[in-house]
Amino acid sequence: MSVLRLIGRGTLLHVKQLSRSQFEIATALFVPLVQATLAVYLFRAGSEPHRLLEAAVGAGMMAVWSSVLFGSGGAIQNQRWQGTLEMLMLAPRPPALLVFPITLATAVTGTYAMIATLLWGGLVYRIPLDVADPLAFAVSVPAAILGLGMFGLLLASTFVLLPNANAINNTLEYPIWLVSGMLVPITVLPGWTGPIGAVLPTTWAARAVRESVTGSGPVWPSLGVCLALSFVCLVAGALVMSYVERRARANATLALA
Amino acid sequence: MRLLTVGGVIAYRALFNWTTPSMFVGTLLVGPLFQLLFFAFLGRQLGVASDSFYIVGNAVLAASVACVFGGTMAVSNERRYGTLGHVLLSPRPRTLVFLGRAVPYAGNGLLIAAFTLTVGSLVLGLRVPLGAIPGLAVTLAVGSLSCAFFGLTLGALGLRFRDVWLVSNVSISLLLLLTGVNVPADHLPAWMRVVGGGLPITHSAEAARRLVAGDGFGAAMPALGKEFAVGVAYAVVAAALLKVFEAESRRRASLDTL
Repeated sequence: MSVLRLIGRGTLLHVKQLSRSQFEIATALFVPLVQATLAVYLFRAGSEPHRLLEAAVGAGMMAVWSSVLFGSGGAIQNQRWQGTLEMLMLAPRPPALLVFPITLATAVTGTYAMIATLLWGGLVYRIPLDVADPLAFAVSVPAAILGLGMFGLLLASTFVLLPNANAINNTLEYPIWLVSGMLVPITVLPGWTGPIGAVLPTTWAARAVRESVTGSGPVWPSLGVCLALSFVCLVAGALVMSYVERRARANATLALA
Repeated sequence: MRLLTVGGVIAYRALFNWTTPSMFVGTLLVGPLFQLLFFAFLGRQLGVASDSFYIVGNAVLAASVACVFGGTMAVSNERRYGTLGHVLLSPRPRTLVFLGRAVPYAGNGLLIAAFTLTVGSLVLGLRVPLGAIPGLAVTLAVGSLSCAFFGLTLGALGLRFRDVWLVSNVSISLLLLLTGVNVPADHLPAWMRVVGGGLPITHSAEAARRLVAGDGFGAAMPALGKEFAVGVAYAVVAAALLKVFEAESRRRASLDTL
């Protein structure tokens, strides 16, 4: 119970902190609206104008991924820059439990974008919110966000080991959108991308949310696979995080940017 | 001329003191390539336009990240790193100093656009007519220069506003939507087409598409001329804004206020 309380409180704290940044909020709200508008015009111009809701939801999922990628990928570095990393690591809890709320918070703030794209689609483009399975949608969106938050811990812990993590951050946005089928169905991609997409929680998260919107398949198996893969990422991330923390303490490099 | 080129090259080298090669490859070469593939596959799935439309359009657009952020950094990083006062203390014309900053970024943009076009064509199987290559080089160069001056205009706002990166990020995403690179212009509302006409990339993408289609340089010239005019307009606006905001920040003693 105390672990859940720690995660809950920590997530709330970091969501509040991220929500204080005008840059974060404006980027999280405005850029996804542009992407959603682009998706709407593309789907209208193409052969599938009836899939506009899918386009808006896909654009929202893309924004959640961007938020996790840039927020979680730079989570440790941001704590360093803020001068709070030492205090975080001094806390009498495993480091993964202290960083996970940060990565979860980046996924939660990504939902601003999801809500914004759906509202934008409804108000500006009159896209009816005709969700095939509202209950599954209401469950799959938070579950997908939780999954991406767990995946974020793996990003946070591995990226801190890499000297040029920012370069990887900037590179990974479009490839994950692509192979996860967030807007482009994975059936149109080359076959070799299939196995890559299959091991990414993002693929299953996007699939579960899409299935809840369109009713094109059973939501729960996709959601189950998403959460299972995310849990594997969480465990792997926790192990890497413990290793990174021990190494940084031993080498006295914790606060070195 | 020496001030324009040497100053620009030194500023560009200074930037690369803290921008590493891996950052260059990851952000400026690999990122735009995946952007091209994303839209090409999406376009294929939706049947909006041919691969050629997306390859050429996104290759021209590939220069925008380097040019827009480069142009922005050329001004706002001076403020961020506390060197703006030194630059403005120099007895040389600021307009030349800052306009010179845009030139290496435009060169950078040209390199990135050429790389994206080459690799995108090889991966997706687009045959570019050999005769079109010189015209394409000119088109990509004009597009990059126009984009760099657009970035410099945004950078000038950095003398007045605190969070210019927000403006740059939003501008980059607006270029995706409004330039007709990914959605054919005739599918966009009239007001978006009008706004797009005043942005860099729109006309150079059109010119590049004409060249790749084998229409010849003559057919691409009107669009290329418009892109050149857009670039010149942004250079003038950037110079004017830099002058106005410099005077205002001296008057309000807010030059180095972050």
